[in-house]
Amino acid sequence: MLFNSFQFVFFFIAITLLYFILPHKYRWFLLLAGSCYFYMAFVPIYILILGFTIVIDYFAGIFLEDASGKRKKWFLVASLFANIGVLAVFKYYNFLNENLTILLSGLGKSNPIPYLSILLPIGLSFHTFQAMSYTIEVYRGHQKAERNFGIYALYVMFYPQLVAGPIERPQNLLHQFYEKHSFEIDRVVSGLKIILWGFFKKLVIADRLALYVNAAYNNADHHSGQTLILATIFFAFQIYCDFSGYSDIAIGCARIMGFKLMTNFNRPYLSSNISEFWTRWHISLSTWFKDYLYISLGGNRVSIPRWYFNLFFVFLVSGLWHGANWTFLIWGGLNGCYLILALIRQRFWKKMGWGTISLPPFLGKVISLSTTFILICFSWIFFRANSLHDSFLIVRKIFTFKGPIFNNNTPSLFFSFIGIFILIAAELKQEYWKGSISFFNNPSPVVRYISYVTIILIILLIGVFDGGQFIYFQF
Amino acid sequence: MALEKTNLNQVKIFAFKLLVLIAVFYVFDFLVGATLRYFYFRQKSGVEYETIYAMEKANEDVLVFGSSRASHHYVPKSFETILGKSFHNVGRENNFVLYSNALLRSITLRHIPKIVILDLNYREFEKTDRHYDYLSSLLPFYKNHPEIRPIIEMRSRYEKLKFVSNIYPFNSLAPTIAVGYFGLKKGKENIQGYIPLYRVMSDSAKVIGTSDNYPIDSNKVAAYESFVRLCKDKGIKLYVVCSPYYDFVEHGDSTINLATQIAIKNEVCFWDYSKDRYYAGKAPFFDDNIHLNNGSATTFSDSIALRIRADAMLTQKLTALGEK
Repeated sequence: MLFNSFQFVFFFIAITLLYFILPHKYRWFLLLAGSCYFYMAFVPIYILILGFTIVIDYFAGIFLEDASGKRKKWFLVASLFANIGVLAVFKYYNFLNENLTILLSGLGKSNPIPYLSILLPIGLSFHTFQAMSYTIEVYRGHQKAERNFGIYALYVMFYPQLVAGPIERPQNLLHQFYEKHSFEIDRVVSGLKIILWGFFKKLVIADRLALYVNAAYNNADHHSGQTLILATIFFAFQIYCDFSGYSDIAIGCARIMGFKLMTNFNRPYLSSNISEFWTRWHISLSTWFKDYLYISLGGNRVSIPRWYFNLFFVFLVSGLWHGANWTFLIWGGLNGCYLILALIRQRFWKKMGWGTISLPPFLGKVISLSTTFILICFSWIFFRANSLHDSFLIVRKIFTFKGPIFNNNTPSLFFSFIGIFILIAAELKQEYWKGSISFFNNPSPVVRYISYVTIILIILLIGVFDGGQFIYFQF
Repeated sequence: MALEKTNLNQVKIFAFKLLVLIAVFYVFDFLVGATLRYFYFRQKSGVEYETIYAMEKANEDVLVFGSSRASHHYVPKSFETILGKSFHNVGRENNFVLYSNALLRSITLRHIPKIVILDLNYREFEKTDRHYDYLSSLLPFYKNHPEIRPIIEMRSRYEKLKFVSNIYPFNSLAPTIAVGYFGLKKGKENIQGYIPLYRVMSDSAKVIGTSDNYPIDSNKVAAYESFVRLCKDKGIKLYVVCSPYYDFVEHGDSTINLATQIAIKNEVCFWDYSKDRYYAGKAPFFDDNIHLNNGSATTFSDSIALRIRADAMLTQKLTALGEK
């Protein structure tokens, strides 16, 4: 069930109404049943996979809490093994097998291991990581094991964030299922506003830009360097609006019912450097990797080469988390390299005793924002390209900078620019002029109502209603 | 019940605010939608104008239906000269048998053409959502043409609901309407719906493999059957044609095979030029892999018109013989 479908709208209204009508003690069951229905609307049978990890982690949590020493460690290892095992089978098996085939054929041998013809369960990486964060937190003693199986299942399956995050932590979400949420008008309205903005990002910007990006990237060899530059910039906005739009809808839906989910995006393209970008982009995943992998590897409290290795490794794994493809690995590796190079430059600068270059603040900001955006755009090429061959072809073409800009639909291109313009204006306002004129939160109800209606009218006028699913569902 | 008294008050306030918002939205939606409708149906040129003409004005003797291949392959002059009948090409880029069926339903309510040519493509019956998305070109006609509503409603389960909004039928059309209404941009050359192409392609022909292995969409097959039946019921002489392709095709295409069988069953002429060696593989005849350029489109149109004339003469003779 996609957020951008009527099916979801009806589902959401029904669940929310029932949620507030039902006595508190039955609400968790309603949410769990609703979440099962939501998930089964994709591929019903895959709920069994989810069920498997839920059962494993539920008991693992209880055993972890009661155990100590080596036994405790083994319970954690078993739980992680089960979770990663499911991921490995469904997501990485064919990728590894394919590479094994290539390797063996290079040695003149054939690969006897068969391929699996299976579909990747939707949102598998998201709920697996959320489940893993629970067992790790119980192991670390930061979270008590959840004894109510239904509540634990709901923690993993809570439908707003089940298939594309934000990847929640048990400390933030679990206790909220025990809290009684009453109908509060301000909270409901604020949730609806977030949902509306999410739909705007998805339907007006992401799905519109997708038309151009897909046309260019799916036929990269027929397009000029200039077209591919434009398509890459468009993709940067497409993926941001697609994913953050989904997060907004998820956060808004949860908020209406009284749940507070973590912020997942914080205007990432207004970052002054790559390090800052990663504190603003897909925050729930970045912090997951930081808390559970980077710090476990020693973080920055190790020798400098080891520190660089830790950074690079975490980004490689992050790339692999996104997809079983070399393009994602390069994307992750590239971002790791950006960070390491920035650190090396910083150290070198300090060692040489060079001061900071004094530029007018505005100019300095523009340069740093642009540089970060360009670097991120460059990495997106690998993320979006259909294959490794395509990604290198696109990079080569971009650097030749030849040929005309592809335009098969001027109105669509025009709408794309309008969408991006509105997004940039809104984000700049939120970032730098927060106290200035507001629309959705204006004290005047007339301005507020006109703002809501204007956004809905823009969605109806220039939104794309035949757009597909959310990009991050595939992860 | 979990809703306490204070909550109930909050719910009432919220419901009231929501109603106000819906009312404000409805007023704006109505105003913007009505404005777009007014200008849409008063366009004087452009792609949308071609659909308006086909749906509400076309009254020629010979009509050609189909996609971009129809609009680029059938030259009016050839048909008018050889058959001595008025002609219009109602083919439209990215629109296939579902669109053609809707168009024919509307046209035949006010005018019965003498001859109809339906140009079919490879994979036209393939199950793909894209073809349903393309039906968006018919959304502005939903309100006043109930005969095409079932076809438009195939776009999605909740399509009917979307028409609560007056803007929805004109989604993404505002600039196109402005251009068409004010005649701001000289569009592609258009001769009675025929859009000539002038490029000569340079690639060398390739043999494309079998295109048999794809799922067939029963809605599209039903639309084709409905198209054939409608022509039969209204006494329209129908010719189904698969016009030339540049690439050689090794095996038959499922759509063409199925369409041929249905045509034979309904005693309709089906002419397949897709493997015609006169055209296939000859770059100077083509603008791209699937579209003839103007010169070869004229040759092709001449041959179709001559064949229709011969068929008509043969039918006449057979009828005369039958009467004797």
